[in-house]
Amino acid sequence: MNFSISDDHQMLKDSAQVFLNQQISLKPLLSPGATVRDAGYAANWAKIAEMGWPGLLIPEEYGGAGLSCIDLVMIVEELGRTLTPSPFLGTLLGTLAVMKGGDATLKTRILPKVAVGEIALALAAAEEGGREDGSDRTQATERGGAWRLTGRKAFVIDAAEAQMLVVTARAGDRGARRLFLVDAKQAGVEVAIEPWRDITRQICTVTLTGAEAELLSEGGDDLWPWVRDRALLALSAENAAGLRHVLDVTADYARQRVAFGRPIGAFQAIKHALADMLGQAECARTATLYAAWALSQEDPRARLAAAMAKAYSADAYVEAAHRSIQIFGAIGFTWEMPNHLYLKRARGNAELFGASREHRSRVIDLARAELAA
Amino acid sequence: MDFELPKEDDPRRLEVRAWFAARPRPTGRQLAEAGYATPHWPKPWGLEADAELQLIIDEEMKRAGVTAPNLINPVAVNNCAQSLLTQGTDAQRERFLTPAIAGEEIWCMLFSEPAGGSDLGALRTTARREGDHYVVNGQKIWTSLAHKAKVGVLVARTDPEAPKHAGLSQFLIDMDTPGITVRPIIDLSGHENEYNEVFFEDVIVPADRLVGQEGEGWAISMRQLQTERVALSKPGAIWGAGPSARELIAGLDKVGALDDPLVRDEAAAIYIEGEILRLLAYRSLSDRMNAKAPGPEGAVRKMLAAPHGQRVVDLAKRAQGPRGMMVGEQAFPPTPGRKGAYDDWDYAFWFSPAVTLGVGTQEILKNVVGERMLGMPRELDPSAKVPWNQGQAARRGEQAA
Repeated sequence: MNFSISDDHQMLKDSAQVFLNQQISLKPLLSPGATVRDAGYAANWAKIAEMGWPGLLIPEEYGGAGLSCIDLVMIVEELGRTLTPSPFLGTLLGTLAVMKGGDATLKTRILPKVAVGEIALALAAAEEGGREDGSDRTQATERGGAWRLTGRKAFVIDAAEAQMLVVTARAGDRGARRLFLVDAKQAGVEVAIEPWRDITRQICTVTLTGAEAELLSEGGDDLWPWVRDRALLALSAENAAGLRHVLDVTADYARQRVAFGRPIGAFQAIKHALADMLGQAECARTATLYAAWALSQEDPRARLAAAMAKAYSADAYVEAAHRSIQIFGAIGFTWEMPNHLYLKRARGNAELFGASREHRSRVIDLARAELAA
Repeated sequence: MDFELPKEDDPRRLEVRAWFAARPRPTGRQLAEAGYATPHWPKPWGLEADAELQLIIDEEMKRAGVTAPNLINPVAVNNCAQSLLTQGTDAQRERFLTPAIAGEEIWCMLFSEPAGGSDLGALRTTARREGDHYVVNGQKIWTSLAHKAKVGVLVARTDPEAPKHAGLSQFLIDMDTPGITVRPIIDLSGHENEYNEVFFEDVIVPADRLVGQEGEGWAISMRQLQTERVALSKPGAIWGAGPSARELIAGLDKVGALDDPLVRDEAAAIYIEGEILRLLAYRSLSDRMNAKAPGPEGAVRKMLAAPHGQRVVDLAKRAQGPRGMMVGEQAFPPTPGRKGAYDDWDYAFWFSPAVTLGVGTQEILKNVVGERMLGMPRELDPSAKVPWNQGQAARRGEQAA
C-alpha cells in the first residue's frame, strides 16, 4: 500500500509537461471561426508520434513501450491539461480494441505501424443518441468468411484522421455487440467532420455502406467492456487534469485581479468557490489514479473504479469550468479567452462514452453486487 | 503507486488477529501496552507502525468487536496527547500518556468560548501566574466529554499585553479542581448531552501543568486541530464514525428505494464520494506514515467529509417519508455488531448539523483551504496585531458609542 506516485511515473509526467508546454499553443483557436485544424491538429500528431506516445500501451513484441494504465494517465493528464488537439485519443481507443480483440496476425499487421505513428486509428461505437452501451443498429453480415458493415456511427473521435477504424456492430438481429476493423479509405466508408463545439477535438460521423470489415475475434464478451473501461479512464484523466488547470489559472487570476481595493480572492464568495474547486480536483484525481491502478492490475473493482472516475470527474470538470468563467467575470465569457475551450472540452467529455447518470446507474449495480458478496 | 490493501493472510494481520483471539475482551491498559491504542506513535506507547499496520490493527479491532481507544478517548488519542511527545516534559509524559491512551482518564478540549469559537484567538479566559501556580478565570463552551473527563486541555490567555494569538498558553488541568463547574448543553437532537459549558472561578493550576512554553498555546492548539481534521476524515457520516455510504446503499437496497431512478442517481453520487473519501483517508494514513506533519490537506478532507456525511444521513432520512419525523424511528436496521452512538441512523441525522460546525466550521475550513493551499489573501482581522487588552478596550468603546 503506497498511495504516492512513483518517481518513474512523475518523471514521465514531468517530461510530457515540458514537451507540451513548448509545443502546444491554443492561440490560433482564440479567434472566432477557428476549427480544430487551426491548432496544429495534424502537426501535433507528428510530434507526439516522435515521442513514442502512440505506442505507450502496445506490447514490446509489437513495437510499443508495453507500459501500464498508470503510465498512460501521466501522459493523458498532460494532454488534457493543455487541450492538445491531435488524434491521440482516437488512436488510443482503436489501439486498445486491436490489442484486446485482434488475433496475433492482425496485431502484427497493425500495431507496429501505430506505434511509430505511421497510421492513426479511431473507435466508432456510438450511434445517433450517443449511448455507447445502447444497441447498435449498424449491421454486420458475413458471406464466406468475409464481413461487411452497413450503418451509421456517430460522435466518433478522430475518425477523419484515421486510416483504420474499429467499428461496433451487431451480427443478426439479436447478436451480441461485435467489434470490427475497417479500412477507412475504402469506397464504402464516408467520414464527415461535425461542427462539434469543442474545437480542440475532432468529432465525426461515419457512414458505412457494405464496407469490408475484419472481425476482432478475441476477447469474447468482455472485449467491449474492457475497451470501454479504458476509454473511461482516458477521459477521466483528461477531466481531472483539465479541472486542476482551470483551478490553477482561476486562482492566479483571483490573486491578481483587484476590485474594491483588494484582490478578488480575498472575498469569501470567491475564496470559498476556489476551495470547493480544490476539493473537486483532489477527488477527481484520486478517483482517476485509483481506476488507473485497478485497471492496470485487472483488479475485481476495476470496472466500478472506471465508472466512478468518469462520473465524478466529468461532472466536477463541467462545474469547475463554468465557475472559472464566473470568477473571471465577463472577460471569461469571451472567445478570446481560453476559458470556454475548457468548458467545451468538459461538456463534450461529459457526454462521450456515456453520460454520468448512466455510469452512476452501473455503479449502483456493481456496488450492490459487491455488497451482496 | 498501488492501492493494494493488506490481504487476509498478511502475516502481520494474522499476528494481530491472534493477539485479539487470545484476549477476547482486552482492557484499555492491555491495548495501550501492546501499542494498539496509538500504533503510529513511538515506543513505548506505540509501535512506530506504518500505514498498513495501522489499517490492519484498525480492521482487526473492529472485527474483534473492540471499541477503538480513539473512540473512547478521542481528544487524547486523536489530538492532544501527542503534543506531549514533542512539547511535554518527562514528568508530564510519565503522568499522563499511558492513562490517556488506555482510556482510563478521559480528556476534553477546553478551546472554544462564547467570544472565541471560529475566532479562537479572541478567547478571554485568563491564566494569571502567581508563584508556583496559575489562577484561571473564564468560560468555555461546546466542550465534548467535559462531563466525563478527568483531564482538560485548556487554552488560556497568559499575556493580555501581547497580540491576541501570541498571548495564549496551553495547560493540562484536573477537571475535579475546585472552582470548575460543568453544565450540559442539550443540542437539537434532544439526545444525552454531547457538549457542555465549563466555568472557571479562581481555579488553581500548578505551573508544571503548562504544555511547552508560555505563548506557544496558539501554535500547539492549531497542530492539534489539524491532527483532528485528519482523524475525522474517515468515511463514516459523523466525525468519521457511524454509517457510511456503503451502508446507505445496502439500506436503500433493502427497502427497495433504489428502484426510484432519482434516488438511485443521488445514492450513486454519494457512494462515489464515499469511496473517494476512503481513498483520501488512506492517503492521509500514508502521509502520516511518511512522518509528514499534518498540514492544511487535513482541512480539505474535513471540508469534503463533513457535508458528505450530512448527505448520507439525509438521503436515508428522506427514504423514510413522514415516519422519519417520529422520534427514534430508524431508516434501516443498524448494521450488526455496530453499537456506537452514531450507528443509530435517526440520531446520526439529527446530530449531523454539528459536523460542519465542530472543529472548524465549514466556512473557516474553506478559508484555510483558500488561503493556505491556494494562496488567497488572508481575511482581514483588525484585532490581530494590537495588544489584546487594547483591542478589548477599543471594542468596548465601539459598543458604548
